[in-house]
Amino acid sequence: MTTEVEFINTQPNTDNLIACPGCDLLHTKQSLQAGEYARCERCSHVLQTCKPLSIDRSLAAVLAGIVLLLISLCLPFLSLSRSGIESTISVLNAVEALWGSDMRGLGTLTLAFIVLLPLTRLVLLAWVLWGIRFDHQMRYSMRVAFRWAVQLEPWAMADIFMVGVVVSLVKISALANLEAGLAFWSLLALVGVMVIINLTLCKDTVWNKLDPIS
Amino acid sequence: MQRYGVEQAGPHIVNALDSGLKSCTACGVLQSLDVEDSCHRCGATVRSRRVHSLQRTWAFLIVGMLAYIPANIFPIMLTRSFTGDTSDTIFSGVILLADSGSYFVAFIIFFASIVIPVAKFVIISLLALSIQFKWEMSLHSRHNLHRITELIGRWSMIDVFVVAVLAALIQLGAILTIIPGVGINAFALSVVFTMLAASSLDPRLLWDGDKHV
Repeated sequence: MTTEVEFINTQPNTDNLIACPGCDLLHTKQSLQAGEYARCERCSHVLQTCKPLSIDRSLAAVLAGIVLLLISLCLPFLSLSRSGIESTISVLNAVEALWGSDMRGLGTLTLAFIVLLPLTRLVLLAWVLWGIRFDHQMRYSMRVAFRWAVQLEPWAMADIFMVGVVVSLVKISALANLEAGLAFWSLLALVGVMVIINLTLCKDTVWNKLDPIS
Repeated sequence: MQRYGVEQAGPHIVNALDSGLKSCTACGVLQSLDVEDSCHRCGATVRSRRVHSLQRTWAFLIVGMLAYIPANIFPIMLTRSFTGDTSDTIFSGVILLADSGSYFVAFIIFFASIVIPVAKFVIISLLALSIQFKWEMSLHSRHNLHRITELIGRWSMIDVFVVAVLAALIQLGAILTIIPGVGINAFALSVVFTMLAASSLDPRLLWDGDKHV
């Protein structure tokens, strides 16, 4: 048992080590081929990824996402007609209507989860990935930006919102006629683009480019 | 992946904490336990184990559970039309959908608004208690339970967005108007607080009792 104690007390060189964020087990870093990934030996948390052409692909998807999100804000989202009365709303109108009818909490929450947080995440990612792609000087602020972009992920709820919209359509199909506008389809496309971003974005590649020393 | 020090330590676990290291959960940088708490690479707070993890988890979880009570008692939606006013709670909304024949949508709402929140309350309490009282339970299944609660928790927001869309869209004056009820605010708070509870629970605490792979 003496060997174990000795071994633990010597401070290892941290450059080629990685600790599992799920269970804290130390691993030696692997050199991965494109498309490979490495999992923790104990809890099978993914520790290292090496996605091919990650920067190019995710930057393209992020830029597409920004365009789609801006389109879906202003264009008509849904239109509704019943007994000759028609109403068409955009996403921003919807938030405005909630705000106007004294449901400020619900309006703000919706605005934050489906517009502000996804947009912030996309803009931060675009800035960081653009900087890497076109060899800008790496700054500390970009690393903070990338951290926020990663941490915001569960709070950007455009995908859940779209399921909610489909459920509402089913709920009121008996009461009124509904038609999906252009913004509906572009928001649906945005959900697909978000999935592509998550699939193509390789956090390890980005961190290594942002901070080559460590 | 290759465990560090497998030759020297044999079957014994070598985690970062034992080696005098702590890792940044945001960017993965390892640094010594005795340097400051801010990550030199990404600026995140680096702690070997999240400080007051269990206390925070319990605090958020209790608020989430308390908010879930009014969310179910009070109506989440009022429908005003010339045939009269009706109000729906979360559960009566599910029944209404099932009665109208939309079984699939009724199932989605039932799952997102009732099954997921209740399952999260039970699972997070179980995990927190198991850490607190060092219960002997399978580490792998507890770890998976934690990961699942973190992944599916956000889907409970479906009902909030349904009410928001309906209330914003259906403003046809005397013919048909939908007004959000108090219940939906409580429900939204409940979902947000249980999401915070799940993310406050540090999964590394689960593994601290483990000595063998």
